[in-house]
Amino acid sequence: MKLYLALILLLPLCGGLFNALVGRRLPRRLGEAVACAVIWGAFACAVLAFLQFTTPVKIEYASWLSDFDFKAPIALYLDQLSLSLTLMITFVCGLIHLYSIGYMKDDPSYARYFALLNIFVFAMLTLILAENLPLLYLGWEGVGFCSYALIGFWYTEEKNATAGRKAFIVTRIGDTAFGIAMIWMFQLFGTVSITELNTMGFLMPAGVVTALGILLLIGAAGKSAQLPLSVWLPDAMAGPTPVSAQIHAATMVTAGVYLLARMFPLIGVSPTAQAAIALTGGVTAFYAATCACAQRDLKRILAYSTISQIGYMVLGVGAGALTASTFHLLTHAFFKALLFLGAGCVITALHHQQDIFGMGGLKKELPKVYWPFLAGALCLAGFPGSGGFFSKDAILAAVFERGGPLYGGLFSLGLLTALLTSFYTFRMLFVVFHGASAPLSHQAAPDSHQGMVNDNRSVSGVEPVMTLTLIPLALLGLLGGLLNLPAWLGSHGLLSSFLGSIPGFSPAEHISSMTEIMLQIAAATACIIGLGLARSRYIGQRRATSLATESGAAPAGIRFLQSGWMLDDLYRVIFIRPFVSLSRLLWKGIDEAAIDGSLDGLARLTARLGGLPAGWSTGRVATSLLAIAGGMMVILGYLVWSMVS
Amino acid sequence: MIVPLEHILILAGLLFFLGLGGLLAWRANLIMMLVCIEVMLNAVMLIFVAGSTRWGNADGQIFAVFIMALTSAEVSLALAMVVYLHRRKRTVNTDAFSEMKG
Repeated sequence: MKLYLALILLLPLCGGLFNALVGRRLPRRLGEAVACAVIWGAFACAVLAFLQFTTPVKIEYASWLSDFDFKAPIALYLDQLSLSLTLMITFVCGLIHLYSIGYMKDDPSYARYFALLNIFVFAMLTLILAENLPLLYLGWEGVGFCSYALIGFWYTEEKNATAGRKAFIVTRIGDTAFGIAMIWMFQLFGTVSITELNTMGFLMPAGVVTALGILLLIGAAGKSAQLPLSVWLPDAMAGPTPVSAQIHAATMVTAGVYLLARMFPLIGVSPTAQAAIALTGGVTAFYAATCACAQRDLKRILAYSTISQIGYMVLGVGAGALTASTFHLLTHAFFKALLFLGAGCVITALHHQQDIFGMGGLKKELPKVYWPFLAGALCLAGFPGSGGFFSKDAILAAVFERGGPLYGGLFSLGLLTALLTSFYTFRMLFVVFHGASAPLSHQAAPDSHQGMVNDNRSVSGVEPVMTLTLIPLALLGLLGGLLNLPAWLGSHGLLSSFLGSIPGFSPAEHISSMTEIMLQIAAATACIIGLGLARSRYIGQRRATSLATESGAAPAGIRFLQSGWMLDDLYRVIFIRPFVSLSRLLWKGIDEAAIDGSLDGLARLTARLGGLPAGWSTGRVATSLLAIAGGMMVILGYLVWSMVS
Repeated sequence: MIVPLEHILILAGLLFFLGLGGLLAWRANLIMMLVCIEVMLNAVMLIFVAGSTRWGNADGQIFAVFIMALTSAEVSLALAMVVYLHRRKRTVNTDAFSEMKG
């Protein structure tokens, strides 16, 4: 077990270092093979660890930070939660690595790409497996760094580099809150070990635990793109599509949910913190779903859908339904990776066209992409029977069970969000794949942010490795429901019983089958209504008119949604502009005028003082004479004065 | 002594400052400056002589003779230089000779 755990972490790290150090000088095939092999090796180790797994283990490898009573060793903790996430991450990332070979086949910086991708996986696994908070923080920051470097991977374009910086800076706000929480916890409890901290929640007054919970929530909101720190994720689409898939599905945004779930035994002591978490999640889910309905960039739709789905997970954590959240995290990882990789295929086939109104009718041209994409869309929309349906419903059921005005309201909001989700998912699916091939009049409008208009719309072939990786993901997404079937279908649920022994994961009260069936019918109805709406709008006779109106100039309401409720502009007014003015004041007013100015003035004064006697040496006899006379006068005056007094 | 010492001192002072004032004011003409210097020297000689009379000591008078000799030498030298300077710049204005400017 000790060996397996070490290998799970070390293999991606070594692969990353290998590609970073010597990858450029070696043949391309070798670098790609090493990058993929280490991830699949880590997956194999995870499977072996799973087979050997009996009880949670804590393994200490070496001491890392140690100072008086502060101890943060390199210690890993494998329990059911981290094990299931490790399996998912290594598997999904392995597929994404394979896919990247096809996607990046023409990119010259493959060594940098695969090195970062491997280290990304290493950082995320460190985060998942860490036993203490500083080690978790190390992985947390590693994930942030890799996402920054990969979002801005094509850094020669200013836009991409800016997107990378934005992701880095926005998540940094959350990281600061998390850092504060970590130090405060050490001050309060005298330990940073997660397992020890989780047994100590009741020692502190509720207010302190609430504050800790809120700080951790801010940290998670930064990483998981929850309101109000969600603005970085839509822009993170600047990176290569497999990177988006990895960020969204496996390595980056789920970290916040994992942190909240991991620390739940501690922060769950405070109902206020739970309510704040649930509220953040529910509102974010709704917010992002509304934005996704108006987007016209394929990847941005998926980005907002991720924010929305992560919102569901956070809502689940806030409702205390950790199993349901983890379940949704797993199924979401499968179908979101699938959707992104499918979108990558579409974008590659259309020569980097990302505007959905420039697509259409791809069902016939890309059947190998269409069917897996359909599976992913069904999961995302929560179509009855798919994996996403069961996991999302489990969260909604848990929220419903909590009752009360807050959770009741959040449940209705969640149901409404499910309807919106279904609508925007099928809108995307129908616009991109159904109907006729996009006529040229539907090509990207001039004001489209992509600005890439292909006149020769030819669908090129997609690398087989890219379409093949979609199949296992599609199967897992569709059949993911089998992991945790609801009780009324007979089984108790594999995941529930697997995760049930972790403190906090066992559900407090079991929901009655009747209520659950009713809730699932409600969720299914929401999904079907959304599907119907999208179908009536984007298939058949109304398709042409809808597309024409939507690809034209957008009215104010749509623009509001497209810009993500103007959050970017709001932040520009509230934070960026005052910050820039303050910086300008400090630069121009304080630094240049006051500090530089006073020093320059002092120098000028000295120079002028030095210039005064220099003016006397005119070389004229008269001046010397005058000076002699003056001096003599002074001496005489002094003599007279001393004689008189 | 018929004339009180104070009067001679006042006269000598007046002469000295007249000479000094002339020296400072008349810088357009080097010869006049030499004249002013002579006036100042004479004022000093007057004090030497007066002092010598007052205390009945011949040292002051010897000094006066010395100064006369020194002055004649100085004036002859200075006038020669004035001629030389005048030959260089066709002027006796001291302001024209500012090559010593630092």
